[in-house]
Amino acid sequence: MTDLKHFDEDHLVLHFYGELDAGAAAQTETHLASCGDCRASYARLQRVMAAVDTLPDSVLPEGFERVTWARLQPSLQRSSGWRSWFVRVPGSLALASAILILVAGAFFAGRLSRTPERADIVTAGQMRERVLLADLGEHLDRSQMMLVDLVSAEDGGVLDMSAERRRAGDLVTANRLYRQTADESGEVRVSELLDELERLLVDLAASPDTLSSEDMANVRARIDANGLLFKVRVLSTAVRELQKQMRPRAGQSS
Amino acid sequence: MPQTDAAAVALARGGDSEAFHSLVDRHSRAVYRLAYRMTGSPHDAEDVVQETFLRAYRQLGRFESRANFGTWLHRIAVNCSIDLIRSRPHRETAHDGTDLEQFGAAVERYDTAGASPERLMMSTEVHERIAAAMTGLSAMERAAFMLRHFEGRSINEISQSLGLKTNATKHSIFRAVRKMRIALEPFVAEPAARGSLIADH
Repeated sequence: MTDLKHFDEDHLVLHFYGELDAGAAAQTETHLASCGDCRASYARLQRVMAAVDTLPDSVLPEGFERVTWARLQPSLQRSSGWRSWFVRVPGSLALASAILILVAGAFFAGRLSRTPERADIVTAGQMRERVLLADLGEHLDRSQMMLVDLVSAEDGGVLDMSAERRRAGDLVTANRLYRQTADESGEVRVSELLDELERLLVDLAASPDTLSSEDMANVRARIDANGLLFKVRVLSTAVRELQKQMRPRAGQSS
Repeated sequence: MPQTDAAAVALARGGDSEAFHSLVDRHSRAVYRLAYRMTGSPHDAEDVVQETFLRAYRQLGRFESRANFGTWLHRIAVNCSIDLIRSRPHRETAHDGTDLEQFGAAVERYDTAGASPERLMMSTEVHERIAAAMTGLSAMERAAFMLRHFEGRSINEISQSLGLKTNATKHSIFRAVRKMRIALEPFVAEPAARGSLIADH
């Protein structure tokens, strides 16, 4: 680059970040000292970068640390169960994705697209599908039971939430993994439902040991507002139907 | 609660979950902010926070007690963010087609009528413009720019981290800067010199 030519923006960006070698950097400095146009361009670039530096940090809600810990703690404690099953079984993430796609089809299209297996011998893959489906079904059943308990809890005075807190904490990790899997699989609506459920579980896990009747009313309103209980119930039913279809018939080995 | 990170790490290594809890309390906000800058999504940032602390917990045995826990955690968070970005190539294509002209038009929708340089430089309008520009970056542009601009990583380091060729990394950074410049043009250019930075060249 000679003094007769102007620098383009990309070159100035490299200079700004100190990415030019010593010789090129010195040449650039010399040119900038003698070229008004390039000096103006560089000054403008510096102002852009300075403005970017003023971008404030994202604002986080009060209690962010408490919620983070509530989500994290079960994962730290858990040495077995759904997550470790995932780790043990190669290819299980892809399998989980396939399962969730099947479940999503059953859930939202109102149909069960899977053709029952006709093979005489149940493969190891089919066994894993069943185990994973059973895990998902159990998770949804437990979530559903907790939502039912919350919606039908007796109103009046202060409510002891310690048991619900523990239940919610236990459910968060598995829910998060299913939600991430749905996300990865592109199952947006299943992911959104699990996300909605997860946020409620996280808030419950991070709630105080007791809730006032007003707080409890808010929890119920949150469950009612989006039909969360209904959606979880429908998804759970879809999973159970799939389980039935995948069950080996008489004469099949398992 | 342990007074220092070093004391908390020592206790957490021995299985004291409350000690690890104190580390989460001290550092989770910083990890979130980094993850949000890197991923541009609150949802992904929350996942990065979870994954970062999980990895840190599992790797506590490898942490050297003389090192700074915050710095170590920061490195893990950057890696988690990169892993997440690399695992989602489909998001890249969604942004790569963004034409710079379309991008400029989109950013222009943020009304800046009547804005004077004096009041704009540190104003919320500037921040809104930058935030809008950030959302117009592809995942790789965003990650490369954040690593270069805020994390001070060299282009070679970024290339290795993101699994890109050096030229591709440079290209991502150049495009990101160009988008920032387009977004901020009204605020940073001299009135007489508005227009393309390199139009005269």
